[in-house]
Amino acid sequence: MRVPEEVLRIADDIRCMRIRGASRIAQAAARGLKLAAQLYPGGDREDYVKYLQGVREALRSTRPTAVSLPNALSYVMSRVMKAYDSGADLRELIDVTVKSADEFIGYSRTATKRIGEIGAGRVVDGDIILTHCNSSAALSIITRAHEEGKEIEVFATETRPRYQGYITVKTLRDRGVPVTLIPDSAVRLVMKRVDRVFVGADAVAANGAVVNKIGTSLIALAAKEARVNFFVAAETYKFSPTTVVGELIEIEERSPLEVVPEEFLRSCRNVRVRNPAFDVTPPEYIDAIITERGVIPPQAAILVLKEEYGWALKDYMLKATAEIEEAL
Amino acid sequence: MDASCREVLEAIRYGRIQSATKAALSVLEAALFCLRRVSSVNEAKATLRDFFSEALEARPANALLMNVIRGAILAVRGRLAEGDLEGVRRAFERYYRDTVKLVKEVNETIARMAVNRIESGDCVMTYSYSTIVLKALKLAKDEGKEVEVYVPESRPGLEGLRMAKELSDYGIRVTLFVDSAIRYLMKEVDKVMIGAEAIAANGAVVNKVGTSLVALAASEARVNVFVLAPTMKFSPETIYGELVELLERKPESLVSEDKLKEVGLRLGEGFGVKVPMFDVTPPEYIDAIITEKGLIAPQAVTFMLREIYGWPFQFAPVRELLGEACESP
Repeated sequence: MRVPEEVLRIADDIRCMRIRGASRIAQAAARGLKLAAQLYPGGDREDYVKYLQGVREALRSTRPTAVSLPNALSYVMSRVMKAYDSGADLRELIDVTVKSADEFIGYSRTATKRIGEIGAGRVVDGDIILTHCNSSAALSIITRAHEEGKEIEVFATETRPRYQGYITVKTLRDRGVPVTLIPDSAVRLVMKRVDRVFVGADAVAANGAVVNKIGTSLIALAAKEARVNFFVAAETYKFSPTTVVGELIEIEERSPLEVVPEEFLRSCRNVRVRNPAFDVTPPEYIDAIITERGVIPPQAAILVLKEEYGWALKDYMLKATAEIEEAL
Repeated sequence: MDASCREVLEAIRYGRIQSATKAALSVLEAALFCLRRVSSVNEAKATLRDFFSEALEARPANALLMNVIRGAILAVRGRLAEGDLEGVRRAFERYYRDTVKLVKEVNETIARMAVNRIESGDCVMTYSYSTIVLKALKLAKDEGKEVEVYVPESRPGLEGLRMAKELSDYGIRVTLFVDSAIRYLMKEVDKVMIGAEAIAANGAVVNKVGTSLVALAASEARVNVFVLAPTMKFSPETIYGELVELLERKPESLVSEDKLKEVGLRLGEGFGVKVPMFDVTPPEYIDAIITEKGLIAPQAVTFMLREIYGWPFQFAPVRELLGEACESP
């Protein structure tokens, strides 16, 4: 399918991590569909839907793990398909695409802000907070607590291999929050002094397990050991509807060159580099997930999924049942 | 102070020499080199006092360093008091030679015992750079055991890369990954083997920062953790409640100016950088310490200390000893 140059550029930015973070990826994906709608060269409504599905696939295939990406695309596409099924003409379909994409982006921004307001309630004056990677939702909480006048200090991990922690340090410093950078290997050492951990999420599975930047589960383990509260900040569009029907969330493994230079690999013939981008934190290490709908225990993830994705779940269930029947 | 001594101090302080064993032996070697150049006993005293004090400050947690300095001073103390410069040199040289030989022998013994714990097909995780662990893994390979080694990069310092290279050069298969992936990959691991900077009286192990995370993740996954360390790394000072001092490095050793510039940051402008060098692994996460005298539970460290220092414990605290023996007349 013909995917416009401008949209391919967004897809490439997501793939090469110039656009990173589950919320930012989701918003970029919605923006991609909107752009595609506006750039549609013309044709009929059947052709438009096929074109848009091609665009969706180009955006979806960029990163395998973040659920916010397919969820954002589904948010827009399900509305387009509904309009299509009820006989909307091409002009209307384009309007629905643009409107739904804007709606999603607006919703996403509001959700992150709302998470900040809700999560800040969990921060106590004098807290030392630890965060990992660079999560807009987690930073929203920290920033909000700071704005409320709470005296807080933050430890930010470097977050190898791509050092997103540096961006966290920059953001917090610019907002006037005292922040200290530490290597990822020092999280257990500093955990004794930490009061609360706030991290983001790339995906939340049906059982409440949280997929996030590699290292998150190690931090959760160290927090549990030190009896430090561990919070995950996640918009509801990071919950994964497909996990309800038993699908696994694929953990992306990225290039070894993010970890070591090429010369090193060439000089070490027996060395293989593993570079998983994410890990899975089991629900028992998580005290709560802070969503824009409220604070929930991780085990109640299914509640969010049923309430927010009831429509999609039915589809997935039907699809799964059909596949089973076909196999039989 | 002599340039070669300065160089050694720099190297052990900022981690260019991370291995506790190499750090301790380099200090002895540099001291010997300097002793050959001094022209009076007083000069020898001043050299030893200044250099050893700074070395102890550069690596305050290194128990082996403390113990060999104690040993060296005890070896030359008599000659120093007599004012016999040639005798001091001879005694020091003998002590240095004996220590190098002893360290080599005990490390070999420990590595041999550790190999008994490695089965063919094992996947062994290690951390940082350890001379003894490296030796054990090479021995296992020599015995025809198929071993795969999992090595975290070990920031700051990246000693894992050096460990990976030396293993790879020896024909051992290595998997390298960022420190954050320790828990993710622990499920694939059969055993953890690490070295030590020092072992405290309660069996707690001081080692490169991140070691305690490895041990914690191993304990969660029910993977056995072995610490390979000679009894010379037991810290008698801790019996009397002395805390092991955990050194931190300069921010520059973690962050590069270029990396910071990319995001618009500069060192010293409104944010902190904490660069710890060591952490402490509690004894409950360690299945055994493999010493040259055999494999022991970490809680049995005091028992071994009694074997070495008697009961009640008798040893001279190293800083006091240094002060007394090298006092200016």
